[in-house]
Amino acid sequence: MGELQAKGFWYSEWAFPLFVACLSSGIFAGTHLYYVYHVGAFNDIAIVAMLEAGIKGGGYGAAAAFGASFLFARVLEGPLVGILDIGGSLQTGIGIGVPALMLGAGFTAPLTSFPLALTTGALLGLIIGTVIILIRKYTINASNSTFGADVMMGAGNAAGRYLGPLIVISAIMASIPVGLGATAGAAIFYYYNKPIAGGAIIGAMLLGAIFPIPTQ
Amino acid sequence: MVTLMIVLKSIVIGALVGFGVGAGAARMFHAPNVQGMGAFRTFGELNACAGDPISHFSFGLGFLFNSWASVVGAGALTQDVDHRVIPNWAAAVLLWRNKNVAETLHNPKQMAIAGAAVGVVVVTLLNSTATAIPESMQLVATKVLVPAANWLINPIMPIVFWMAAMDAGKRTGMWGTVLGGMSHLVMGNAVPGIVLGILIGKGLDDSGWNKITKSMFIAVILLFVFSGFFRGFDVALLKSMSVEIPQWLIELHETFGSVVKK
Repeated sequence: MGELQAKGFWYSEWAFPLFVACLSSGIFAGTHLYYVYHVGAFNDIAIVAMLEAGIKGGGYGAAAAFGASFLFARVLEGPLVGILDIGGSLQTGIGIGVPALMLGAGFTAPLTSFPLALTTGALLGLIIGTVIILIRKYTINASNSTFGADVMMGAGNAAGRYLGPLIVISAIMASIPVGLGATAGAAIFYYYNKPIAGGAIIGAMLLGAIFPIPTQ
Repeated sequence: MVTLMIVLKSIVIGALVGFGVGAGAARMFHAPNVQGMGAFRTFGELNACAGDPISHFSFGLGFLFNSWASVVGAGALTQDVDHRVIPNWAAAVLLWRNKNVAETLHNPKQMAIAGAAVGVVVVTLLNSTATAIPESMQLVATKVLVPAANWLINPIMPIVFWMAAMDAGKRTGMWGTVLGGMSHLVMGNAVPGIVLGILIGKGLDDSGWNKITKSMFIAVILLFVFSGFFRGFDVALLKSMSVEIPQWLIELHETFGSVVKK
């Protein structure tokens, strides 16, 4: 039944670049929010930290190379497997890699102005969407390979699991109350089958609000 | 005033992002005939609770808490907002009224509209509550989350990806090892190199050296050459081998705006 419906604008090839444009416009504007107000970047702390390292004066190289190579790999992979991974391509590539490239080159306007951020993101999304549809046209029938997408997905999910224990260890090294809070939070979240990183963070913050971490 | 600006901008951003995510997620159910966008894990998770609005809602809620902690702590919404919260809540909203997934979750038009609505609410809520954070909580973020996140990027993620590449076969392991090591040298982190190694290794496993794998290989080489050049890896390499840096190389770097330190 789904196959019969799969026609018209919402299922068409050329609508795809428009959807990508919407999403990357929003994501790029999210990075604008982060750059200006320090809130709202559409990515994980670990990856935003790379951009933050650049903003703080540590150089944009890491964020730019990381983001650009993810974008590149995902744009190749997307048309081949039929699903564009928005985490690597748009959230990391467009949201972190491209801004890092621009800021590294001293080009701050797209990140300081909201309308310009929306336009930049939309244009980049339109280009990426079109490239994907073009690659699809020329390769989808030429290859049966998924290029190890399953391997990467497995590794990506496995790596994410490490964050919880890492936060608990880091909290324990920061101060005793914060460490206790993170441990309890992680345990409670684990009991309720939630990702323990969330519990560790909330526990650390609750105790950290009552007993602030000493600054040396 | 600042909060008002954040709220107004978040409404626009949330609508755009939600629209794209919703349409892309619904299109995933028609892949590979229709190009979808999202992620394999999003696809799997949507399938795992398909048809039950309460499952979709509580799954999204769990990750909303995670994202909330992250945005309060570090200003980062996490990838889960796009991967998990918006698609699952959009699905929950639609399935609440109509249990037929073909007309709701699998329909890009319905999902795009529901996604936009959910996006406005979620993004605005997360961004606006994050501005009212006390100083002591900011401290927790910088003292606890930043070190943990740094460990995750290096060395945890390179190791996990590396082992996955080696477990996926000899060829993938080989490409992953070589490109991973090179990538850690040139780009500062092995993960992108290992990902490219998996891409090439698996491509060769499945279809050998054809037009696609060859052009991928060339593209990877170019990627390494360019990022090496722009990060000054060439100069650093020569310096660590105590080779004098030729004048033309210094001039080449200058034309692209980077200054070579003597």
